[in-house]
Amino acid sequence: MNAICFTLNGLPVSYEGSAADRLLEVLRGTYRCTSVKCGCKEGECGACSVLIDGTLINSCCVAMGAVEGASVVTMEGFRETERFSVLEKAFASVSAVQCGFCIPGMVLAAEALLSKCPHPTEEEIREGLSGNLCRCTGYNAIVNAVSIAAKEGKGLW
Amino acid sequence: MERISESVVKKDHAPKVSGRSIYVADYPSEGVLCGKLLHAKVARAKVLRVEVPPLPEGYFYVDAKDVPGDNNVNIVLDDTPVFCRETVEYIGEPIAMLCGPDEKTVERLRDECKVVYEELEPVIDLSAATHAFFDYHFGHGDVDAAFAQADRIFEESFRTGYQEQAYLETQGMMAVPEADGRMFVHGSAQCAYYIHGAVARALGCGPGGVHILQDVTGGGFGGKEAFPSILGCQVAVAAHKCAQPVRCVFDRREDMEYTSKRHPSLCKYKVAVKDGKVTAMDIDVIFNAGAYSTLSAVVLQRGIIAAPGVYNVPNVRVHGCAMKTNTSPCGAYRGFGAPQTFFAVEMMMDHIARALGVDSLAFKQSHLVKQGDMTSTCGRYHFPVPLPAMIDEVDAVCDYRRKREEYAKPQTGRYRRGIGMSLYFHGAGFTGSGERDIIKAVAKLRKYADGTVEVLASNGEIGQGVRTTFPKIVAHELNLPLDKVYYNHPDTARVPDSGPTVASRSLMVVGELLRRAAIQLREKWVDGIEQEVEEHFREPDFLIPFYIDKFQGDAYPTYAWSVNAIEVEVDTYTGLSKVLGAYGSFDVGTPIDYNVVMGQMEGGFLQGIGYASIEKMDYDAKGRIRNNSFSDYLIPTTKDVPNLKCMLHVERYPDGPYGAKGAGELPLVGAPGAYVEAMEQALGGVALHHAPFTAEDTLAVLTKEAI
Amino acid sequence: MVNGYVPASLAEALELRSSRDVVPYAGGTDLMVENRKGVDYLFLNKITELQQICEDEQYIRIGAGVTFTQALESPLVPPLMKEAVSRIAAPAIRNAGTFGGNLGNGSAKADSVLIEFVADAKLRLCSVSGERIVPVEQFYLGRKKLDLRPDELIVEILLPKSGLEQYVYEKVGGRNALAISRVSFAGVFAMEDGKITNVAAAFGAVADTVLRYRDIEAMLIGKTIDEAKALKGSYLDAYAQRMVLTRGRVSAEYRKTVCMNLLEDFLTRFDI
Repeated sequence: MNAICFTLNGLPVSYEGSAADRLLEVLRGTYRCTSVKCGCKEGECGACSVLIDGTLINSCCVAMGAVEGASVVTMEGFRETERFSVLEKAFASVSAVQCGFCIPGMVLAAEALLSKCPHPTEEEIREGLSGNLCRCTGYNAIVNAVSIAAKEGKGLW
Repeated sequence: MERISESVVKKDHAPKVSGRSIYVADYPSEGVLCGKLLHAKVARAKVLRVEVPPLPEGYFYVDAKDVPGDNNVNIVLDDTPVFCRETVEYIGEPIAMLCGPDEKTVERLRDECKVVYEELEPVIDLSAATHAFFDYHFGHGDVDAAFAQADRIFEESFRTGYQEQAYLETQGMMAVPEADGRMFVHGSAQCAYYIHGAVARALGCGPGGVHILQDVTGGGFGGKEAFPSILGCQVAVAAHKCAQPVRCVFDRREDMEYTSKRHPSLCKYKVAVKDGKVTAMDIDVIFNAGAYSTLSAVVLQRGIIAAPGVYNVPNVRVHGCAMKTNTSPCGAYRGFGAPQTFFAVEMMMDHIARALGVDSLAFKQSHLVKQGDMTSTCGRYHFPVPLPAMIDEVDAVCDYRRKREEYAKPQTGRYRRGIGMSLYFHGAGFTGSGERDIIKAVAKLRKYADGTVEVLASNGEIGQGVRTTFPKIVAHELNLPLDKVYYNHPDTARVPDSGPTVASRSLMVVGELLRRAAIQLREKWVDGIEQEVEEHFREPDFLIPFYIDKFQGDAYPTYAWSVNAIEVEVDTYTGLSKVLGAYGSFDVGTPIDYNVVMGQMEGGFLQGIGYASIEKMDYDAKGRIRNNSFSDYLIPTTKDVPNLKCMLHVERYPDGPYGAKGAGELPLVGAPGAYVEAMEQALGGVALHHAPFTAEDTLAVLTKEAI
Repeated sequence: MVNGYVPASLAEALELRSSRDVVPYAGGTDLMVENRKGVDYLFLNKITELQQICEDEQYIRIGAGVTFTQALESPLVPPLMKEAVSRIAAPAIRNAGTFGGNLGNGSAKADSVLIEFVADAKLRLCSVSGERIVPVEQFYLGRKKLDLRPDELIVEILLPKSGLEQYVYEKVGGRNALAISRVSFAGVFAMEDGKITNVAAAFGAVADTVLRYRDIEAMLIGKTIDEAKALKGSYLDAYAQRMVLTRGRVSAEYRKTVCMNLLEDFLTRFDI
């Protein structure tokens, strides 16, 4: 029986369970990555967003077999980076965090956006975050935060 | 900007942004049983029996028979059961909880339970409802005489639908039996002491036998005001029976279908006009309460008190009732009954103006209440009413008056525009004398020997910022750096009851207690020792006493005011409408933190726009909620209202801390009126009578027009 | 691996597909919502042959494993397809969702499939015993019913290289992002020597499969603009009679009205 091998936040891991298990549940349960939130389990809210090989993915819509050999990054890993610290400060400066439940996913969506598009327009930011629902903020502060991060993080993205 | 208004980094920012915050679902599962509710599948039936499959070792079936105390959850009345009685009254009513170590096994066992029903005739439709949980009448003046003398009489009805709070974190509670015999219940919630009372009663153990902690909570918006009391009782009863910790976290479908939402409404207005002025309103408000009364009494009270809107109407008669139907019980949602009646009255005033051939905004303005005027309950508007200035502020940012005139001209082509405006208030704090007679809030400050100060209160951080704004007030008075003052999530074992986190009251009422406590502490401050100070709620002297039996007196000490304008562009081919801009001026008094308040305004305004436009939830003929997922119940995304502009207008309230008054609910209330008024214009000046007003509704109007 | 296979090549995948009872897993975005119990997945995401976008003389060939995001970044994919794909859900879904998966899910709401219908795309289906090329219209037999044998995999979408320049695309969703189509419409138009050579119209999300009526389209083929104008009324009537739509999140009447409005607008845009 072959385990599923992948890297999680830079460390190699091997998962012994079923290939049909949901990445979201495995991350939260087996690996205690509780920054990955379960909001809907059908790809409609973005609270469970993670980066797989650098791309933004809803972990509720991924079966474990699909991450064989991949690199998975959650907020537990991303928060150790310099880019996170720029985003974190930008979010703080406009108080973009209210209840916080959407935020780890939102920040990863911002990271994915800035990686592809380091100087986004407001419209591009809204597009980049469009799969991440937030019920608290009305989004203005979050969009501003990403725009600030893009300016402050010169060269990081 | 005053110093207190300057924004700071929120106290809960770092743990939340880094994903370190522990929400109830995030506690480790080891040693914790997973609880899953067995929900009724029919809207009304006698439960003859439940055939439970053989349970493996370590798995439990928990129902009403296991409730050691009282199987009634105290909310306003006691009619909501912990687990169902002999009958079930709505689809989703909890019959039992299955508990065990493995989630999938628990789910399977739950699904294998066979409930044998004797079906009874349910009441699904509001129009068929006959039982009123609550029925109120009030008014003033001589309504009949005014109608007798009227030049014209207008009669219209308005409907609003459900609204789902759609907090991103679903409901979840966990109960842990402690070594000393107490039951520890914690989870996602707004009102720790409500749960405390409910659980103590369900366990029959007295208030000392339980304590409640509000965990980090992923949004509430009213949805976690009363519901966690029910779920808290269920997990506590289960943990009591299993003698182990039990956690129950709802999945999204369960949460959307079975937890409380905003009451659907039918409001009938009959209005007398004489010499171009409204002389009387006779208003009938009907709320669909659902199967149990939960918070409907107080939701209805707020709704009917607001029914005449921000207008000075000399003769008013209001009747309101909350009807029982066999559907999910409705409850608290930001705005609390007022969004329904404000929608109705704003549309009504607009329609009358148009029928009289006068400008709608000018007509509304000619009726505006002002300082010193009588409220609908014969209280007073004690403080200045800043609406005229706020109208001008909104007009200045969006060119409202010019657009309103321009869009009123005949439009052709695929895309057509409209703009609408709503004027409204939100009564700050509890309705009536609840604060004085029921809540009797107490707040404390504890200063430790090292000079740090802890805020002790029971108001939960649900995103609105109280973990930041409470310490800000205290630090300001004590002239301490903000990091010396902190406020943890409340645990009823160690904080006094400063009341629930509802009614836009936390900052205004409890914030003021803390300000006074801080002054007390400042005067008594001795370095190097532990000190504690306490403050109790005192009703402001100026209040005209409120009598709920007569609906007379000051229902609110003061009001938060707002003006919203929404501009839309309708695609006449598809019925889709684009919000070109949403503009709001909000007076919540002094902002205790500018960013925090703006976050509330923007978030609430967007929720209101969702309520007005795309958030449609309905049930089928059997009483089952059809829109039970995030793909079926749509809330706004980043791309839906990119041009959302909020402004603050500050009218200080002398009895709130530094002039602050209620804020959280205000921004949601007025959006439906402004949005639907805008849709009326875009659709060529039709009169519309319901919200949400969807793409399908739009096309129905256009199709009718084409025929 | 328990409950799953991760083949590295198409040959290996086809071998597994023919010898085991497996559910092909492409992006997972639909499959994981279905949450089927007790199935074995055939994970296709490691097969590079399925992830190519290339062209030959006649076709743009999009591998079944190409994600929507990859398509948006490819210079080969025509604007019509890009426009439709760019409106799918949101970035995270477009990063995972694939063309093959959109087809394999068998839904008439699939936004890329609508374009394949209007563009007369063909599909290359392979099994261990060979391959066949099937027009997309014939591939869809009904709701969740596909002409896909149990041993076959969808391998490529063959999109005609030319003829898609003049088009209309409309997606009617419930909101501006993360929206499942409630009605979708694509029209493709072409003229040669003053005569209409193509006037394809496809309607998505309104019935069990994407709708396209070639016989009604034929009314206008070979006609001049003026002749087509004269026929416009009977052409629209023919559609109005033929289209029997289902209700879903919105009513059948709403869908019908929108379809007819968009169809008429399509003609109008090309001066008919």
